[in-house]
Amino acid sequence: MKCSQRPAVVAVRLVASLLVLLTGCGVVSEPDATAWDQHAVQALTDAASQVATARLALEAAGDGRTWPTYTTVLVAEAEEAAGTAEEDLARLQVPPERADAAPEVLDLLGRAVDLVAEARAHAVAGTYDDRALLDALDRLSDDLRQAAP
Amino acid sequence: MKRYFAVLLGILTAIGGFVDIGDLVTNAQVGARFGTSLAWVVLMGVIGICVFAEMSGRVAAVSGRATFDLVRERLGPRIGFLNLVGSMLVTLLTFIAEIGGVALALQLVSSVHHVLLVPFVAVAVWLVLWRAKFSSIENVLGLMGLALIGFAVALWQLGPDWGGLAAGLSPAEKPGAEGWATYAFFGVALFGAAMTPYEVFFFSSGGVEERWTAKDLGVMRANVLIGFPLGGVLSVAIAASAATLFLPAGVAVETLGQVGLPVAVGLGKIGLAIVVLGFFAATFGAACETGLSTGYSLAQYFGFPWGKFVRPREAAGFHLILLVVTVIAAGVLLTGVDPIMVTEVSVVFSAVALPLTYFPILVVANDPDYLGEHVNGRLANLLGVVYLLIITIASLAAIPLMVVTSMGQG
Repeated sequence: MKCSQRPAVVAVRLVASLLVLLTGCGVVSEPDATAWDQHAVQALTDAASQVATARLALEAAGDGRTWPTYTTVLVAEAEEAAGTAEEDLARLQVPPERADAAPEVLDLLGRAVDLVAEARAHAVAGTYDDRALLDALDRLSDDLRQAAP
Repeated sequence: MKRYFAVLLGILTAIGGFVDIGDLVTNAQVGARFGTSLAWVVLMGVIGICVFAEMSGRVAAVSGRATFDLVRERLGPRIGFLNLVGSMLVTLLTFIAEIGGVALALQLVSSVHHVLLVPFVAVAVWLVLWRAKFSSIENVLGLMGLALIGFAVALWQLGPDWGGLAAGLSPAEKPGAEGWATYAFFGVALFGAAMTPYEVFFFSSGGVEERWTAKDLGVMRANVLIGFPLGGVLSVAIAASAATLFLPAGVAVETLGQVGLPVAVGLGKIGLAIVVLGFFAATFGAACETGLSTGYSLAQYFGFPWGKFVRPREAAGFHLILLVVTVIAAGVLLTGVDPIMVTEVSVVFSAVALPLTYFPILVVANDPDYLGEHVNGRLANLLGVVYLLIITIASLAAIPLMVVTSMGQG
């Protein structure tokens, strides 16, 4: 059985279809380079902060100024936060203008996560005096800060 | 002699009880990012809390009744209800943050994840609220909170550039990389942390619990006018020690472990242990105060028996509220929400709720029917009105600044 629709119902359906189309267009719009830059700077700054925290925590533990559980909690939290910073940026679609820069930034963030994870392993093992690790944390912290002016 | 001891004890507990999880986290965050350039906000907040705590303490001492009791009677049930809802929600949020803070402090010594510690902390807080005497809660935890003086000693041991810290007190010394909107956001958060609404409700209800009379006004004023400013000095010491260690290293504070790190570097294990004890006492004490404040405010508004001076059986409704809010707080924290994030949100919403809390106190403190000859004088009214203007501006700016700066990310 065929029935005719009232004009109001037709109008509502038309508007709804238009809204769905517009929303869909919004979702697939071009990624914004400026917004990506802001997220990248935030991620790099956060990662630099976590790397520096791990460095300070290991140094303090090495000087006998903290107890093992305190150091472990501090560095484990830094590792988690560095991982979150990397994941938050990696989840964003890279705009075409940043196709070259993005892999470098993500690589730097990945190195931060790996190095803080290594620092956490040292904290758990109670080996705080690895000079090479402390120097690597120092260098990476500087690199991250320079990459996020 | 006994009276001097009471004054000294009151001042010491006011100092130890001034700092809570909001002050710990916000001052360390601000110090790490802005140095001492926001210390003036702490000063403003301390003067503000002194003005209104003195008024609410005077109301309690002279009328023998607590704030919500009188707000509803003086301003009517509608304004009273608005006051109740605004303050209650913020106090509940602060209660959640404090219980989370206790769990975070225990995590630092046990390395057990804070979520696993939350049920035990919640049960401990509820047991203390149910069984412990009011004076024991206030005095024991307040005195233990004095352990946070370790921050001031650590600052001295860190050997900062004192001239640089002093020069940094000017807002013009804000680090160039930080925007003014972010600076303003943290200023509002710091102000909200210093003037958090539960402090006055707890203070005035505590006065009724301890049966203050007009004779106790001197002791009450000494507690407020000496204890709170010294508590403010502790807040500045937390910010300055974070500025000394973290600002040059580019570290942003996001965990309670980071808050204590300057003390570890400055004083070593013993100093750190004392300050972690201070973390526990400050957050546990504030959890008890905020928990009691939710019970006080609801019971006072609806007019049923309340307080620790009444037997639990006679104040069953009051104790049921304490149980329910403790279960709610534990439930929220068991979802895995970050207690530091709850703290950050609670201090911002404290700022939003400030006018709802403080305007009624100003009105009641001017009513001769309740206060007789002890109504506000010219100075109290001048300061009250000026602060009402400031807290209204802070309240209106809080949410827009939170949105614009993405919770202070810049």
